[in-house]
Amino acid sequence: MEKEEKQILERCGNRRPFTVPEGYFENLTGNIMAALPEHPVEKPTKVTFWTKTKVWAYMAASFVGLFFLINLAVNHTGRNQEAQMASIDSEVYSDEYIDSFFETAMIDEYTLYCSLTNTGNFNQL
Amino acid sequence: MASFDEEKIMEMLRQDEASKRRAFEEIVRTYSEPLYWQIRHMVYSHDDANDMLQNTFIKAWMNIDSFQGYSKISTWLFRIAINETLTFLNRQKSMQSITLDDPEANLEERLEGDPYFDGNETEAQLQAAIATLPEKQRMVFNLKYYNEMKYEEMSELLGTSVGALKASYHIAVKKIEEYFKNTD
Repeated sequence: MEKEEKQILERCGNRRPFTVPEGYFENLTGNIMAALPEHPVEKPTKVTFWTKTKVWAYMAASFVGLFFLINLAVNHTGRNQEAQMASIDSEVYSDEYIDSFFETAMIDEYTLYCSLTNTGNFNQL
Repeated sequence: MASFDEEKIMEMLRQDEASKRRAFEEIVRTYSEPLYWQIRHMVYSHDDANDMLQNTFIKAWMNIDSFQGYSKISTWLFRIAINETLTFLNRQKSMQSITLDDPEANLEERLEGDPYFDGNETEAQLQAAIATLPEKQRMVFNLKYYNEMKYEEMSELLGTSVGALKASYHIAVKKIEEYFKNTD
């Protein structure tokens, strides 16, 4: 025991200086029990079809949403690319250019066909 | 307290409503008095202590189904009582700061007029000195000084390390000694 604690004990002691009304502890248990509210009985919760399946429904809905978003983004990008390519093609190879090319190239239809199928470009036309 | 069979009580608490109530009555019979004194040393007034005790047991009763028995029933109840008491003291403190009261200065006067205080002047002075301590220090001091509780037991109740509790008690004793030096 430290010095200061000993001094406090010598001076004041450690008796409880509080009292209670007469018979307080004798009736305490009864009083507390009488004041207790009804204990809430936990009712078993009814599991509905919706409760069971709602997780799957939410997941399906989010997948559908995601699919539409991705689809929208892909289509939008594809359309832009096509438009870009079309503008490039029409700029580089105009109809007049192609017509004049065939007139001056001295190339017959069979040679052109062979040339396109060999290089694999025929499909693109 | 020796006849209190914790295992049997826990078993009864898992049974039907009537058994649960009987078990809880046994808990109240065993712990109401020690809890009352612990609360009374913190709030001083009998009426306040009685209200806090009622609230403690009502809260325990309402949550008895969630008590899994990982700690002792006494520890669980004591923690509820501590929370109730600290909430009450904080509320009281904020009320006093509104009304500009000085709780420590009034305590000696309050105790002298309290019909349920039978201490002498020195004992009232000690209570006023204890009231100057922060709540947790006050709790540690009361448990050690009046209940002579071991630090290990206190550590379990308050969830604080033994070292921190020893330091807390040491500081509390120094502050009280200082209080007496200043008032002498």
